[in-house]
Amino acid sequence: MTALPWLLLLLAADPADGGTASPRKLPEYLEELFQEKGDDGQPVLSAQDRAKLEALPEHTVQLIAEKMDKLTVSGAPHLKRLLTLDLSPQLAELVFQDNCIVCHTDAEAQKKQDLFSPDPKADGSPAHLSLKEVVSDVHFRKGLSCSGCHGGSPDAPRMTADIAARWPKKEDRKQGRAWVVDFCGRCHGDPSFMRGFNPGLPTDQVAKFKESQHGLLLLQKGDPKAAQCVSCHGVHGILRASSPRSTVNAARVPETCGHCHADAQYMAGYTRADGTPLPTDQLERFKASVHGKALLEKGDTGAPACNDCHGNHAAQPPQVASVAQVCRTCHAQNGALFDGSKHKMAFEKHGWPECGQCHGHHDIQEPTDALVSDAPDGLCGSCHKEHAADHPECNQGAAYFRATIGQLAESHHAFEPRIERFAELGLDVEPILASAAELEEGLIQSRARIHAFDRGGFDLAAAPARAAVQKTEGLLAAAEQERRFRRNGLLGAIGAGGLLALALWLKIRQLDRRRRGGDS
Amino acid sequence: MSQARRGRVLDWLDERYGLRPLLDFLKHKEVPRGGHSLVWYYLGGTTLFFFTVQIFSGVLLLMYYQPGEATSYESIRYLTTKVPFGWLIRSVHCWSAHLMIVSLVAHMFSTLMLKAYRPPRELTWVSGFLLFAVALGFGFSGYLLPWNELAFFATSVGTDSVKGVPLIGQWLLEVMRGGQDVSINTLYRFFALHVVVLPLSAIAIIGLHLLFIQRQGMAPPMVHQRHATARQGLKFFPDFFLRDLLLWLLCLTALVTLVFLMPYGPRIPGIDWELGKKANPLAPAYPGIKPEWYFLWIYQLLKEFPPHLFGLEGPQVALALVTVLLLTWAVVPWLDRRAAREQPSPAFNDLGVAALLFIGFLTLKAWDIGGLRPGQAGLPDAAASARACAFIALGAGAAVTLLRFVLARHRWFVLSGAALLQVTLHGLAGVGYLAAGAISVALAAVAVAVLRRRTPREAAAP
Repeated sequence: MTALPWLLLLLAADPADGGTASPRKLPEYLEELFQEKGDDGQPVLSAQDRAKLEALPEHTVQLIAEKMDKLTVSGAPHLKRLLTLDLSPQLAELVFQDNCIVCHTDAEAQKKQDLFSPDPKADGSPAHLSLKEVVSDVHFRKGLSCSGCHGGSPDAPRMTADIAARWPKKEDRKQGRAWVVDFCGRCHGDPSFMRGFNPGLPTDQVAKFKESQHGLLLLQKGDPKAAQCVSCHGVHGILRASSPRSTVNAARVPETCGHCHADAQYMAGYTRADGTPLPTDQLERFKASVHGKALLEKGDTGAPACNDCHGNHAAQPPQVASVAQVCRTCHAQNGALFDGSKHKMAFEKHGWPECGQCHGHHDIQEPTDALVSDAPDGLCGSCHKEHAADHPECNQGAAYFRATIGQLAESHHAFEPRIERFAELGLDVEPILASAAELEEGLIQSRARIHAFDRGGFDLAAAPARAAVQKTEGLLAAAEQERRFRRNGLLGAIGAGGLLALALWLKIRQLDRRRRGGDS
Repeated sequence: MSQARRGRVLDWLDERYGLRPLLDFLKHKEVPRGGHSLVWYYLGGTTLFFFTVQIFSGVLLLMYYQPGEATSYESIRYLTTKVPFGWLIRSVHCWSAHLMIVSLVAHMFSTLMLKAYRPPRELTWVSGFLLFAVALGFGFSGYLLPWNELAFFATSVGTDSVKGVPLIGQWLLEVMRGGQDVSINTLYRFFALHVVVLPLSAIAIIGLHLLFIQRQGMAPPMVHQRHATARQGLKFFPDFFLRDLLLWLLCLTALVTLVFLMPYGPRIPGIDWELGKKANPLAPAYPGIKPEWYFLWIYQLLKEFPPHLFGLEGPQVALALVTVLLLTWAVVPWLDRRAAREQPSPAFNDLGVAALLFIGFLTLKAWDIGGLRPGQAGLPDAAASARACAFIALGAGAAVTLLRFVLARHRWFVLSGAALLQVTLHGLAGVGYLAAGAISVALAAVAVAVLRRRTPREAAAP
């Protein structure tokens, strides 16, 4: 018991115990803020707020104190709003250097329509005045703050006339959004200026936009509904396209385009070149397609989004000639095979959009072997019936391709349960699995080779798959032989054991009888 | 060899080594008969048979197995896929290991039920208990040797529980693992244990166990179980020995049949030895890793404990409980004073049934029986599993109790009743496992106290 006080003393003296470290001394102006009380009589700034301040570098804290001194930060509630952003030291430095942000976050001094808020909905300010978005904006993080677009100087303690100098006049802004393109283009179209921020970023966006369907509508036809920079990139919360939160990130592009293009009301009145109404089901169809599932469900950002086929800044509907080139950017081998095929000229003659003719466009599905069909209503048969009626070899070719890949696929399918069964029985199935993998690879090559529509080339591609079928059959037969050998071994062992057991049992019975005879 | 020549050979040997007394002993050795079935006397023999299979198949495995980071997995893979009959050797070794444990546990419980541990055979029981511990050690150490993913993670989890040992836990963990984490050093240690230390220990303790049995003879039935017209014992040589041989032959046939039908085991968690992927210490552990079936009850018990209990860490308390239970089991011959006086001791029959129900319920729960609907992915539903396992345990418990009541005329069911009460409270009424256990133990203690008070003291007289 006598050791107890000593132990307590030791624990109390333990520096790792925590909670006893003295708080960092803050500048006087800031210390005073911690005494300020709200309407409920409680201090406005909490211990967590102090911890946030203490985590900032010394010079940033000094900067905040200076702002307090000059009344740019008006009081504890104002500082608290800024601290709710949980800023990193670098961002805190940027925020507190900028008088525009500091003043326009003061709820007591600003009208609601000019108030940047950490929560615009709660404060009743417009949605685009979200302070959280501003501090995550790529421009802000690169040092381009409010004055970069709006004019003026972040050092100015009050609003000055030159703040409005760079910004279009209100009546111009009310005309429409056409001015936005050149406004952004002042920097984004200037390679020497952009080199200082992001040398890898292209600077041809404005030129491309002017060629795009959106650009033509906005700039030439004066259509205010046509998309311009902020329609896709946003206003104060613009992020790099690589950010998953960006509206132009690959996985979010369909949703961004669909914001207008899937809205039937918004798109009413827009037509294709042939005068038919522009459909608004592209997004739904894309979501159900093999590309949409890969991009939106599996998160494979390598899968194409709208802009990969239509372009982004120069967005246009792909023409018949260009759509096949779009597909070839990824499906190069199939494209090359098609280019060397008889179909190439026939498709050109009819003005058919090569890949899209068989596979569709927005709702492209994973192709199945059933796609290749010489039946009168099949994909190949229906076309050949009309355009190759005097060439029976065309349909025969389709039938041959289908039969061959069907047989190979059937073999592959039939091998699986047999291999599984042998694996369950503990046989070495690795060589069989390797051979089945060769068959699978051969099958993929054969399916791709159909795009050349040439039996000779197809047979060359199918030969390794056919060889793999033979090899797998041989290995499976050997495995079956091994299984029989094992089974016969087991039966032999059981038989020999049974005979021995029978002999033992007879011997035991004989002994028992002898004992009973002896007893009696 | 003719009778005369055999006699001459024996004489020659006897002159040199004095074999006659030994032969006389064997000639007169008998197995007690009457009271209960002779079947229970064979289980030690079958355990020994499976142990012998382990030694032989283990030696064959050793001819190919090369312990090492780059060789353990590869050599087992080579053995099972390329070496003629290599698959057979590994599968025999694995199946026989499990069957040995089954046989050993059956032998232990039959010894308990027949009170064969009563004086003067207390040390035979203790040596048997040590063999049980050695068998578990064999299982634990052998599991890691193929150096595959499952073995690696199961050993990581298994050795981690050693931390719960007071004061020396961390040290013990590092000694077992040969470092902070499971590594190839752990495998070297386990290999040495599995092929040298444990076999030598097992052979020594088996020798002692058999020596005790030869010196004292097999335990005769209890006085109240003997028939009035008990015949003389069955001659060990050749009558009993031939029966032993016949049973071993049947065991061997069953073993090879299982090996052919299920070379990787029945694919139940804890009874599955598919090689799978090579161990990768940097890979994340996947969910659902379970130890061998005979450790599942301890695994589940650890899961039933909260992180902290009575100011201690939950696993520490759980391990302390397991230690107390196992030590109690080891000293049963001294606790069962009625059996020592050749009086019926129904409490210890009931203890055996209660132990089976306790271990059985935890094992079923560890398998998540009833917790996952067919085709359902994700985590199993613990409450649904507890309910399903409770129904199985209650069904089995009721059937056993009825059989005991009618056939064996047992009338003492306090401990098995407590085990079933815990299962009911936990599985059907939704009470926490530990709370249900505490209530059941408390009620059982009250019941025992009341029964002791009612039982006349003279009943305890010799």
